[in-house]
Amino acid sequence: MRNVNDRSRDIGAFVPAEDDELLICRCEEITKGEIRRAVHDGMFTLTEIRRYLRTGMGLCQGQTCSKLVKEIAARELGIVLAELEHAASRVPMRPIEMKVFGNEKEPGKNA
Amino acid sequence: MNSRIEEHPILGKIEKGRRVTFWYDDKKLEGCEGEPIAAALKAAGVMVHRHTQKYGAPRGIFCAIGRCTDCVMVVDGKPNIRTCITPLAEGMTVQTQYGVSAKCANKAEGMA
Amino acid sequence: MKRYDLIVVGAGPAGLSAAVEAAKYGLKVVVFDENANPGGQLFKQVHKFFGSKEHKAKIRGFRIGSQLLEEANQFGVEVILNATVAGLFQDKEVTVRINDSIQHYKGDAILIATGAAENMVPFKGWTLPGVIGAGAAQTMMNLHGIVPGQKILMLGSGNVGLVVSYQLLQAGCEVVALVDAASKIGGYGVHAAKLARTGVPFYLSHTIIKAEGTDCVTGVTIGEVNKAWQVIPGTEKHFDVDSICMAVGLSPMAQLLKMAGCVMEDNPKKGGQVPVCNAYGETSIRGVFAAGDVSGVEEASSAMIEGRIAGIAAAEYLGYIDKVTLSDKVGELESALNSLRQGMFALENRGKCIEKTEEGYDVSLHLLQKGYFQEQEVANYPGVTVQRGVHAVIECSQNIPCNPCQDACPKHCIKIGERITSLPVVDENAGCSGCGMCVAACSGQAIFLVNEDYENGYASVTLPYEFLPLPEKGERGWALDRSGSKVCTAEVVKVQTSPAFDCTNLLTIKVPVAMAMKARFFREGSCHAECE
Repeated sequence: MRNVNDRSRDIGAFVPAEDDELLICRCEEITKGEIRRAVHDGMFTLTEIRRYLRTGMGLCQGQTCSKLVKEIAARELGIVLAELEHAASRVPMRPIEMKVFGNEKEPGKNA
Repeated sequence: MNSRIEEHPILGKIEKGRRVTFWYDDKKLEGCEGEPIAAALKAAGVMVHRHTQKYGAPRGIFCAIGRCTDCVMVVDGKPNIRTCITPLAEGMTVQTQYGVSAKCANKAEGMA
Repeated sequence: MKRYDLIVVGAGPAGLSAAVEAAKYGLKVVVFDENANPGGQLFKQVHKFFGSKEHKAKIRGFRIGSQLLEEANQFGVEVILNATVAGLFQDKEVTVRINDSIQHYKGDAILIATGAAENMVPFKGWTLPGVIGAGAAQTMMNLHGIVPGQKILMLGSGNVGLVVSYQLLQAGCEVVALVDAASKIGGYGVHAAKLARTGVPFYLSHTIIKAEGTDCVTGVTIGEVNKAWQVIPGTEKHFDVDSICMAVGLSPMAQLLKMAGCVMEDNPKKGGQVPVCNAYGETSIRGVFAAGDVSGVEEASSAMIEGRIAGIAAAEYLGYIDKVTLSDKVGELESALNSLRQGMFALENRGKCIEKTEEGYDVSLHLLQKGYFQEQEVANYPGVTVQRGVHAVIECSQNIPCNPCQDACPKHCIKIGERITSLPVVDENAGCSGCGMCVAACSGQAIFLVNEDYENGYASVTLPYEFLPLPEKGERGWALDRSGSKVCTAEVVKVQTSPAFDCTNLLTIKVPVAMAMKARFFREGSCHAECE
């Protein structure tokens, strides 16, 4: 089992489906059709889909949609879920305002 | 039917903080001090917390634990406040949020 | 940068149990939790847990939560709330957001016990206000005292869907239907049965087609699905609802471990991507542990034991105890954990079609598809006997690790034995005193006291009742059968409440003797027009 996506693979043309208008990323309001189209545009990894569409980059930071996006992408690519690498997990695990990052303090001291 | 549970078969009599008044858009409402703003709104029958940026779609409570951010509103002038985990205080102003910032609320409502 | 022996991320059952255990051995422990209240999901659980005494069976979740917190206090565990751990770095350093600043902490050992998050099933209209997660329903009802809606449709028939539906009824909501695309109920039969007898209909092999409404949910349409998960035309059903609740599984929130570089595996039976751990909960990084739902979605009972094991392992890792002590202490806990992981719902059995119990009894397909037994099936099980006078009738048909009924009976009428997944057997020769302790003790509310010799032509049925208002002696109403249908008129002849029952009231109704094995629930109501 490899995590590398073979970009030369032909996944066929985009076929419109009845549920293309279904909202998947609630925060950024991105539909299932847009995600599937993105895969056909060449976005074969979750990280790329995220950067291309902003799924997972809204206020909830992918808390609600990540798994759904993964399932849709895997199906579109015709691969098993396990073969599709999760998008990278990075700090911060939860959305944090920039001003907070600029405010590093010693624990216990005046917070 | 009252949305507030007075007595629960397992939890017994539900104890809440003292009643306080707060502003929801242009209405004066009552809630219990310290409970999440979203709870007070639900008890008052409010379902729509905000309208989304792109499609203007109505959103309300979804996860109730501060993870999904669908319940965010403009609270005391600050946008994107998660009302399901923010405790209610006397005199708070809670406004329906339009889009992702406080500015949109003013634009849509035509408020000064 | 502040340093601790053990940093625990997550103050749920696993995290707190680990912290308490480690603190007992002298470690300096801190627990961070991003929520304003500790306890994770525990305080939302108003139902009685299963298992055996060592697993805190028969005790309601929120009480277990309070006990854990008290213990944490007692052993000097520092719990910092509203503290979001933003990252886990090399050398076991964590950055934590507390109020408006970021603080750095260093742990000699780290335990990640961040639990799991709810899954979602998108359908047309799912973003409308009124569509909520099951956790949201629990939070609103059990933490804030607010009813999530007046009429709810529940999606999902796993234990969460079943248990939350029951809690919704207790909070005063009407559950109009329980829907699942699967062909069989995923959770315990007893949880389904206690719902079905109140009249909640189950729609297996159905999916939500769309939620309707402009500003909020006003209705929902479901439809039957074929084997390819497509809706069969003509099977659409509509319900007027103001809420739709989703209970479609949980996925571990293991991102911190992934970030730190732990070896992960994709395991659908465990809920998704989880860290690869050894028997002590240690990940591929020495000194970094995982416990609870984050390492595999199970229950609070197993989370607590996993937490304790990890706490002890951390103590050994840091040299506070030796390997022999580690082995001893963990040995006991491991066998407790293993006994929980037996039976029909064990991890290795997930996804399998189980047709017979361990003893060889038929598993009821009707129960799995509709949520209740057909009357003739009930007599097959060892807990159901025909006797003179009052006796317990135990409608328990699945191998689940659970035995409070055995310990509850002062006359030793009920036997389960060493293997706690065994079905309870009612001894026809032991003399039942009709005390009702077993009825109250059964976490699945599957035990009834039946007396077919109550009065000339009448039988009495004592059933567990956890709703308000509590009926009164002398009240007349309807007896409902296992499917929630009215079968006859009934009179309440006795109502028992007792601290020993812990809010499970015992309602004894008088019904015609022919109804003794049908009547399983009571609904008050005037029946002048209908009874004849």
